[in-house]
Amino acid sequence: MVLTRLRSDIATRKSGKSFSLYIVNNIHTNTSLVSYLTSDSCFLSVIPNCQFRSKTLRLKTFTANQLDEIKDPSGLFYILPFQKGYLVNWDVQRKVWDHLFGKEMFKVDFADTSVVITEPYFNFMSIQESMNEILFEEYQFQAALRINAGSLSAHRYFQENNSELCCIVVDSGFSFTHIAPYCRGRKMKDGICRINVGGKLLTNHLKEIISYRQLHVMDETHVINQVKEDVCYVSQDFYNDMEIAQLKGEENMVMRDYVLPDFSSIKKGFCKPREEMNFTGKYKTGEQILRLNNERFAVPEMLFHPSDIGIQEMGIPEALVNSINKMPEEMQPHFYKNIVLTGGNALFPGFRDRVYKEVRALAPAEFQVSVVLPQNPICYAWEGGKLLAENPDFEEMVVTREDYEENGHCIYEKFDI
Amino acid sequence: MAEKKIAVRSQDPSQRRVLDSATRQRRLTRQLEALEKDNFQDDPHASLPQLVKRLPQFDENNESGKRRKKTRGDHFKQRFRKNFQALLEEEELSVSEGPNYLTACAEPSTLPQRHFCAVCGFPSNYTCVSCGARYCCVRCLGTHHETRCLKWTV
Ligand SMILES: [Zn+2]
Ligand SMILES: [Zn+2]
Repeated sequence: MVLTRLRSDIATRKSGKSFSLYIVNNIHTNTSLVSYLTSDSCFLSVIPNCQFRSKTLRLKTFTANQLDEIKDPSGLFYILPFQKGYLVNWDVQRKVWDHLFGKEMFKVDFADTSVVITEPYFNFMSIQESMNEILFEEYQFQAALRINAGSLSAHRYFQENNSELCCIVVDSGFSFTHIAPYCRGRKMKDGICRINVGGKLLTNHLKEIISYRQLHVMDETHVINQVKEDVCYVSQDFYNDMEIAQLKGEENMVMRDYVLPDFSSIKKGFCKPREEMNFTGKYKTGEQILRLNNERFAVPEMLFHPSDIGIQEMGIPEALVNSINKMPEEMQPHFYKNIVLTGGNALFPGFRDRVYKEVRALAPAEFQVSVVLPQNPICYAWEGGKLLAENPDFEEMVVTREDYEENGHCIYEKFDI
Repeated sequence: MAEKKIAVRSQDPSQRRVLDSATRQRRLTRQLEALEKDNFQDDPHASLPQLVKRLPQFDENNESGKRRKKTRGDHFKQRFRKNFQALLEEEELSVSEGPNYLTACAEPSTLPQRHFCAVCGFPSNYTCVSCGARYCCVRCLGTHHETRCLKWTV
């Protein structure tokens, strides 16, 4: 799983003789998937969609993958373009884009390039207008397609499963989790549901409980996010795991000791192998240890029971069933057998099995339930964007700069956000 | 967290203050807001304001800036600097028909509320009389009283 990720994808393509394609995917951890496709190459980069400040290198603000220049990322300060999953800080976003469109990365030839960019469901009108202005007036892209990431994922899914009529996409990312039904490529707006739980909340919650129970780590988002990715999992039997986590010594199969990085001899944190674990918690080595116990599964549990921390919303399986119930009856069985999991949180071990188990229990017994976890749930929308941009109908879907200059913001009717 | 450092006058446990439900709700809201924060520490550049001002903004010497058309002035700048709440209010969704950002929010669960100890995170059966936090055993209650209970002032 890649850190915390922010939402909005871009794919660009050059038209004309050199025919190339450029794709950026700022999926909802604060990382973007960026790729540049030309007639003879395609490479995908994953870059942080934000800026950083470090307490050791105090005179510089680092943009996107300049993060790699920071040798000691402890206490890393984040400057994010997104708030609650919506693009609000354009200064930061433009700096990130300047960096990756510019000479450091892709050297984009704007006049000859179309861009595909994803936006969250129900993106605010003023953000959409700002987006048009930035893409067409500032960068002067030749054409643009603004689309929801879930629509790209659905496109990807239908491409591979072309006999299926419907699918329902779960996109669990950095800022929130969306559930969105699609029927024959059409987005079913009445069934779209947002759960206000994403990777950022999980990391912050983990920071909070570790800071209260053992070690002050509130300033260590970068480090604790890695801890989350390394040790957290989705429980298949929550109360049983709670019982195991209360056992002492070797019987406690949940407990893990995590060696924190010191960014000199230990560059990256890691779990002590089970056989090297010392259950008294006292190690002779000078390593700094975090002991993770019920935190390992109680944190991702927020995706299934947001009410555990006081967010009075349905968890993913319940919301899935609720969304499907809002769809026309004859479509419902088709949704149950085409549930697609995307986004960084889908990488938690046990995530798919738990979603399946709970949806199975809630769904009518006569319906088949199938839950698909793509090989790379983070890149799935990007893959859909790439397919779309290679599609012969792509030209029909985009809005060109000429359209925009003639019709102004009215062109957003062509975009289905 | 800053709140933790604000010590409330020590109280005799036998006559502990009891927080009313509005205070408890505010406390919960603030806890949830904290989970949305990007950073808990101060901006490392905040302590060197003058130095930062004298340094060139690094986008100024960025080439692509020169090539680009200057976007219109103040109006532009302002519109591009609204926070989430301001943008949400501007949408006037409460008076518009759905589906929209507000209507798309997941409904409350129909499953029963689960309770966990505010100290150790294990399932809990008891509620702190003073603040409504949950606890699982006498030891955790003691820790809770000493650390958070009434010290998290609102
Ligand atoms: Zn306890
Ligand atoms: Zn209390």
